[in-house]
Formats: sequence, structure tokens, C-alpha cells
Amino acid sequence: MNNTREIKFESPSFYQRLRGMLGVDFYRLFHTPLYYIFLAIAAIIPAMILGMTTVEGGAPLYSNTWNIVAADTPLYVFNEIGEYANMNMVFIFGGIMVSIFIGHDYGSGYVKQLFTSHPKKQDYMLSKTITCAFSMACMCVTYLIGGVTAGLFTGADMTVNVGSLIIAILGKMVMSLGWASLYTFLNVIFRKYFGISIASSFFFGTGILIIGAAAVIGNSSSALLNIFLYGSSVNACLSSNIFTLIICVLVSVGWTLVYNLLGTLVLSKSDVY
Amino acid sequence: MNAIEIRGLTKSFRGMYALNGLDMTVPKGAIYGFIGENGSGKSTTEKLICGHLVADKGDIKLFGRDFTDAGVRVRVGALIENAGCFPGSSVYQNLMMQAINLGLDNPDEEIMRVLKIVRMEDNAALKFKKCSLGMKQRIGIAMALLGDPALLILDEPINGLDTDGMRIMREILVDITKTYGCTVLISSHILGELEKISTHYGIIREGRMVQELTAAEMDSRARVFVSLKTKDLDEAARLLQKKYGNVRIEEGYVRVYDVNETEAIVDFLIENGHIVSEIKKNKIGLEEYYIELMSRKESK
Repeated sequence: MNNTREIKFESPSFYQRLRGMLGVDFYRLFHTPLYYIFLAIAAIIPAMILGMTTVEGGAPLYSNTWNIVAADTPLYVFNEIGEYANMNMVFIFGGIMVSIFIGHDYGSGYVKQLFTSHPKKQDYMLSKTITCAFSMACMCVTYLIGGVTAGLFTGADMTVNVGSLIIAILGKMVMSLGWASLYTFLNVIFRKYFGISIASSFFFGTGILIIGAAAVIGNSSSALLNIFLYGSSVNACLSSNIFTLIICVLVSVGWTLVYNLLGTLVLSKSDVY
Repeated sequence: MNAIEIRGLTKSFRGMYALNGLDMTVPKGAIYGFIGENGSGKSTTEKLICGHLVADKGDIKLFGRDFTDAGVRVRVGALIENAGCFPGSSVYQNLMMQAINLGLDNPDEEIMRVLKIVRMEDNAALKFKKCSLGMKQRIGIAMALLGDPALLILDEPINGLDTDGMRIMREILVDITKTYGCTVLISSHILGELEKISTHYGIIREGRMVQELTAAEMDSRARVFVSLKTKDLDEAARLLQKKYGNVRIEEGYVRVYDVNETEAIVDFLIENGHIVSEIKKNKIGLEEYYIELMSRKESK
């Protein structure tokens, strides 16, 4: 037996570890159907909403095609479903996708392979957040493509302030990071209970807590709610300006740091399974 | 330098101690057979070494470094309970993910190398869920072998395998240690198989290490006995008991313990009117040694 083999131990840097983890997550994302299914869902849903509600005889859900992206003004409390059913729905789909993505890590036992080798718990949190944020941002794009294509076919009004529209879309894409970190955190907490993971992601993704709070304090005073993920996501609307985008960036990055720290703490202090 | 050094390792689940101050030393280059009954703490120890569980207290060192050190962890491969693969992905894709995670320079080459070691180079495109149990275990070994590991931790890798599967697995493990010189910590209930490959043993009970010994020590402690067959086993056993002391009838044979002289026994029985139809020298194997050790502990 070759017992005399010289063994070298070189510690990988944070960058090397994160690159490895991101490599695995993106490889998995692009080589499994989950990502493509959710991209398709994100494209089909707005097309269906727009198509089905503007057919002859039906009451139009939106006065303008671009309301499929966001409402005209930040409506924290909505009166009609059309004011709610816009690109923010991507964050609900995204929540379910993240639950399945992370659930598979634990269900298959692959997470054991990861944690046996060099990745740290913080690498896991960060990598999942980035990968899932990327997926949700892509879902925003397919949502836009689906909605606009259906809008063109239905002949709905397409007048819009292009600058505000771009900021609204970018704002929502930026918010994907914060939402992804929330869902990663929830799925790390409920990692042993797949059903609860999905239910909790769906619950928070609907923004029901913020909608409830806004209903109490009223739409006009609800700007304070922009410090939360759902508040900022609603704030990115068709009357947005550059400050809206800055708020989105600050809120999204801020919550990402908080949820990543909390998630790392939970993973470090508890058993993997 | 030892590959694994554990001191005072304690782990409890809801107040029940799975490990209670475990000490363990696995020398570098050893194939360490980790033995114990169900619930004795084997898997818990392995999961703690792999960083899957958080210890209540205790110290784990791998190659002289803290076990959480990323430099040493990158050189650890494990097969704990199952291969940890995505069922919908192919064998190749599963291995590729781990190769990317480890940051290997030539993942394709490395994947084919490990698949060849586990004799699965023709099954790379097969979906993991379509693989048999034996194949899944071998894929788990292949995954653990990626990136030239210095330490392999294998939890019951031969469980559920048929005779041929066990033989292949045994050959693979011996080949790995001979060719690559890596240390292997292997737990199994199939002691006969462990005995064929292990260079060291650790016997655990109720979360504590009962005994650690090398294969050579095990060999020297093993009792020898002569087993024989005659027409009248009871009468032969009675006669031999008078002369040699420690005699038992087991599995249709008379066993004369701590005796090595077959010819003297045959002469003695012939003198007393018995014809010996079968006789052979034996040694108590790992399984019997283990059972005896456990029963000694129980009676204490």
C-alpha cells in the first residue's frame, strides 16, 4: 500500500469556492427542465390573462397593454385583480421554482456531496440566491415577451412613457435578487418539509402581509412599505423614475444581505438533515 | 500523521446520546473497518466527520487540520447512505456537477477516469434513476473519488449488493487504496467482507469506542480451534472435553478450542473407538470475535 504519498492541502479562496458552487447551480439550472418550464409558465400566464380578458364581449382587464408589467401608479392596495396581476406574479412563480430547486438538493441527497467537500454554508446561500435571482430575472423577460406578444394580437392600447417602463422592468428584475434571498432563506429553514417550503414561499410571494398593512394605513401613506420587498416591487410602476430604481437596488441588496446572513447562521448551527 | 483523529466527540438528538465521548484514530493509508450494531453511532460519526451534523462537543482533526478547513475538505470524498445524485440527470451530468464544484481542470477526463475505476465507463449517458442498486453504489464511489481524495468515508457501501456486486466493490476499494494511497473509513454489517479488506478495525458501542486494533493484532488475538466430525458427536465431545477442556458442538461439528494439533486429536479419538470423517484447523473470524467481545461487554 502506498502510504507514503505526499498529500498537499491547498485551501480554495472564497472566489474559487463561490465559482464552483455557482458553476454547479447554473449547470443544473440549464440541464434540467425546471428552469425552462418556469420560463414558459412566465410567458404563457400574461398572454393568457391578456388574451382571455380582451376577447370580444369580455371586460378588458387592462386599459393599456403595459399594465401587464405594472400598474400606472404604486397600488399597494388594489381594487381590481388587473392592478395586482402584473409582473409581480413572477415572484410567486419564482418562489415555487426556488422551493423545487432547493428541495431537490435535499430530496436527492446532493446537498451531502456539497457539504462534504469545501463549500461553506455562506457559499451555498449566496450561490442559490444568485442562481434563483437570475432565473426570476429571466422569467421577467419571458413574462414581458408573452404579455407584449398577446397585447399585439389583441390590439390593446400600447401608449407608454418608455423611460418609466424600462425603469419599472429593471426595478422588478433587480427585486428578483431580494425575493430569491427570501425564498432561499425560507427553504433553508423548512428544508426538511418540502410542502411547508412551497406554501411559505407562495404565502410571502403574494405580498399578502404588505397588502394587509397597506389596507390599514391606506395607499397614500404606503410609501413607507417600500422598505419591504413587495412594497418596492409595487413601487416599480409605469410612473417610476430613477429614484424608484435606486430604492429597488438598496432594498433588494439590503434584504439579500439580511437573509443570507440569517440563512448562513441557520445552516451553520443546525444539522444538514 | 493520522488521517482522522477524534477526541471526546459527543452528539445527542433530543436528549438521547448517539455519541458519548468517542475517541477514534484512523492512520493514514488505512482501510479502517468501522463496526458496531445498529444505533451504535457509526453513521453519526461519519456524518459528523463529513460536516453534515453539528457536534455537541469534541474535536475532529483530518490530517492534523481542523475538519472544517476548506483545504482538507476538498480532499474528502464520501458515500453516506446514498449516492446523492439527481435521479432525472444522467450519470455523467451528476458527476460533472461534482467535478465543477471541486473546480477540476479536466472534468471530462476525470469523470471517465473514475467511471473506469468503478467499471461504469459504458453507462455515462444512463439516467441515474434507471441504474440498479449496485450501479448506484458504484456511482456514489465514483463521485467520492473525483478530485483525487485523500480520505474516503463510506457508510455501508456493500449493503444490498449481490455476491458479484460485493466482489466488484471489494476489488474497487482495494484497488483505490493500493493505486491512490487514500485512507478509507468504511462501515458495514457484513463483517466477512470487511475482514477481507480492512487493515484496521474500530468497534463502537453505545456511542463509545470499545476497541481499536490492526488486522495483525486481530489475527494474533483470534483463537484457533480444530473442528471435526464423527458419527457420535456427543460422545466424542465428552472425551475431548476431558482431555482438552474447551470443547463445544456447533453447526454439526465438534470444536476443540485453543488446540492446533489435528494428528494428536485424531489418534486420541481412534484409540477411543471413534472414526473421524472430517477435520480442519480454523481461526475465529472477525464476526465471531466481534460477537464474543460484545457478549463479554454485556456480561460485565
